[in-house]
Order: sequence, then C-alpha cells, then structure tokens
Amino acid sequence: MITQSIPAKPSLVKPRLRGWKSFLTHQTFRRVVQLAFALFILVITIQHVQVGEGSNNVTASPEAYCPFGGLETLYKYVTSGGSFVSHTHLSNVVLLIAVLVTALLTRSAFCGWICPLGFIQDLFSNFSAFLRKRFPSLRRAFKTLKTRGARLAFLDRYLRLVKYAVLAWAIIGAAAYGVMVFRDYDPWSALINIAEFSFTPGLVVLGVMLVASLFVERPWCRYACPLGATSSLLGKFSPVYLKRQSEACKVCKVCTTACPMGLPVHTATTITSADCIGCLECVGACPRVGALEVKIGIPLIGQK
Amino acid sequence: MRIPPILFGSIVLVLFLGTIFGFQAAGIWSISGKITGDGQAVLPSAGDVNTIKGWMTLEQISIAYNVPLDDILMQFSLPGDTPASTAIKDLESDAFSVTNLRTWLESRMQSPQPEVTVPPSPQVTLLTSKATETAVVTSIETTATPLPTQHIASEKTISGKTTFQELLDWGVELETIQQVIGADLPAPATVIKDYVTQKGLQFSTVKTALQAEVDQLK
Repeated sequence: MITQSIPAKPSLVKPRLRGWKSFLTHQTFRRVVQLAFALFILVITIQHVQVGEGSNNVTASPEAYCPFGGLETLYKYVTSGGSFVSHTHLSNVVLLIAVLVTALLTRSAFCGWICPLGFIQDLFSNFSAFLRKRFPSLRRAFKTLKTRGARLAFLDRYLRLVKYAVLAWAIIGAAAYGVMVFRDYDPWSALINIAEFSFTPGLVVLGVMLVASLFVERPWCRYACPLGATSSLLGKFSPVYLKRQSEACKVCKVCTTACPMGLPVHTATTITSADCIGCLECVGACPRVGALEVKIGIPLIGQK
Repeated sequence: MRIPPILFGSIVLVLFLGTIFGFQAAGIWSISGKITGDGQAVLPSAGDVNTIKGWMTLEQISIAYNVPLDDILMQFSLPGDTPASTAIKDLESDAFSVTNLRTWLESRMQSPQPEVTVPPSPQVTLLTSKATETAVVTSIETTATPLPTQHIASEKTISGKTTFQELLDWGVELETIQQVIGADLPAPATVIKDYVTQKGLQFSTVKTALQAEVDQLK
C-alpha cells in the first residue's frame, strides 16, 4: 500500500508568530482578563479581612461579587419584595444578570474569560503540564495513568450531568429553607473565606478540585459548577458558535487536545456543546487558517 | 459572519461589565447589607426582628427594641463586661445566635412589657457620639426583669421557634428532653429546630416526640 502525504498548502497554514508578536494573541488577552478579575477579588478579600466589619465599617465582602449568590437569593428577592438570603446583596443579583446576559449572547464565555475559579483551575493544570514537560518520569507516569483511566472515560458523559443536579439542589434548597444550602459545600466560598480558618465541606471540595486539576483540566467546571450549568442552559440560545471547516481541517486533533473541557472538537462540524466555555483555546491551537472560526448565526437553527 | 477571537473576548467583557455599570448608573447596586442602594445606613426595625443582622451591635439592638443591654447579656449568659459595640455575630455560641436573639425579642414583643423609661432620643446621641454610646445604653432606667419566653406557653405547641427553655417552662423534665434528642441539653435558649437541624436530625420526628411529652403534661 502506498501512502502519500499531501503537503499543506502554504496559504492554509498559520504563519508562526515570533518575538513580541507571539504575545499579541487572544490567548494572552484572555489570561490578562482572567488575572485582572482574580486580582480584583483578591484585593477585595484582603481589604475585607484587614478592615474588618465593625459597626461603622462598610467593606464589600468578596461574597458580594459572586453571581451564583444572586441565583440562590433570587427566589427570596422576588417573593419577599426585595430581601435577600444571608451573605447576599443586590450586587449578587446584578452580577447574575450580567452573567446571564453574557451567556445569552456568548454562551459560557464568562467561565472561560472571567471566572476566577476557572482561572485557578487553569493555573493548576498549567503547572501540572509544566511539571510533566520538565520531568520525563512524571510524564510517563501521567501517560500510564491516562491509559489505565481510559476505561473509565464512559463515566465522563454521565458525570457532566451532575452539575445540573447541583444547580437544582442549590436553587430549590435556597428557596425552601431561605438559606444558601450550597454555601457550605461551595469551593469558591471556602476559598474567599479561607482567612476565617473554619473547616467546612467546601474546603474539602476545594482541595479535591485543586488536586483533580493536576490530572484533569477544569474538573469543577466540567462536573459540578452550578453557575456553569446555568450558563450552558442559557447559552443554547446564543447566536455565537464555533465552526470547523472540514475542507481546511486536517483532523490533527490539536484542537481536541487543547480544549480544557475535553470536547471532541475535531469530530464536530459546529461546536454548540453546552459545555463549551468559549475560551477559544482550540482556535488558537489550530495550525490551519480558517479551519476553526467563531461565527454568528441565528440561534438554534442557523448554526450550520 | 466570522468574529476574530480578540473581538469575541472584547464583546464578552463589554457585555459583562456594561451590564454591571448600567445597573450601577441606575442606582441598582449595593455590596453590603449595612447600606441601602441610595447609601442610607440600615438599622434594625423595632417592628420586625427579621431586620436584625449579624453585623449589628448589641447597642443597636438594645435601642431599637428598647431592651436594656444587661437583660440581653443575662438572658444569653453572656459576660457582663461585653462591650455594647460588639457585633452580634462575634458573640455566637451554642447559647447565643442571631436566630435565638430574634426569637427572644419577638417573644418579648408579644408579651406585655413592664413600663420602661427611656431617655429622650437616645438614638441621636448614640449615632453621633461613640464615647457616650455605652453610657446611654446602660443608663436606660427600667423596671423590667428578664422575661422567659412565655408567648407560646399558653398554647404549648412546639413550633420552629420554640426553645428548650420553653419546654422546661412547660414542665417537661430535663431527662425526657435529653432522651428524645439523644444528647445532653444544650443552652436552654437554643431554638430546638436550629439544634436538631444542626445535628442532622429530622425536626418533624423530634417535634412529634417532644410534643407528645408536652401533651402528657396537659
């Protein structure tokens, strides 16, 4: 059998960027945006811890900047005519609306571009990748682990549904009991309240999430994040989608490897998965011009 | 239509921040329960115990509900030298919580209170001069004595707000209560429902068992 490799047309291969130009990419832009939001929350948290909350001090708690708090308090806010469950304020509701607006138009791009918890998971995953690159023995160990774990891959599609159950539990629980039932299990809440030194289930979830991030990218986003579940449901009505041009694509799977959410990008024609966080890592990684593009179409019907 | 990736990221930012700034410009924004949307300080309302928040101080509660500070300290077995400026949440223990305080104050509001003499407009003094706050609160002359939570005693029906103290007041034996909850009695001022929920027990089950004991005493 004669195998013949067809050389790529020069015009279809992305030019390799060198020097400072290699930093002027949307990936760098995304990291800067993520870092800015994470630093903002860090400053708010430090300020809140340092200044405290005596009777005459009004400092924002980092919890006031959590969009999911808005979802948990929404039922009480609407039914009681403006009161909130504990630890939430009007800012939580406004942030929730901002996330929903963003999701409605750009899918779960909030998760990929803004969410600090997603950024922290990215940092841990990148650190893991760095270690694997640096230490060949570690790389081999990871490869063995991945091969052995492949038989459990079928669980992935079912575990991804867990986040919708978490969403239902958090909303129904908050509506029924008037308190944030999810708060004690929330890794984000545990992280921003870490200065309180209180041992909560959320702290355990946070630890598990960070360790898991060394092996799987964005484990919290994939399997358990209720805010991501909300975004993904609303994102179904978004006009934005990813298009893979099969005539330009060489099915090299670089896009699938780059996807932090583990989506099979190389096999899809249009990527409208609810789990897509719009990070565009696949677009950035794709070596071919025009093989993967962000497009706008009529929601639900015009995305072909 | 194709969107360049950098433009996509910019759209995400504009949408997210634009929505927030839009609400802020419209005055729909508040990051603390201490101030309202228009910047006014939030204070406890004498008519509604649900307006009590953990960050509120003992003196704010004392003034709003016309309760001597000593009475609050005595009711919940708090140290007598607790500063009036202490936030409620900083005093939380098994015997004292925001919920317990709300329940107690509500029961006081529903019970006939002895006449209390209050100095003229203490709130004004309190909010303007911190140095005099403690003095004003402690100088409230009152003939009131700490009242047990008796508002439900006439009905003797256990609800989500009933405390262990009320059960004892109704005549339920200490040992009987301990037998039902399967543990030593916590601080008497503890709300039964809060305690039971905290211990992971079904409130309805415990309530039924305790109610049966109360009914036997009728």
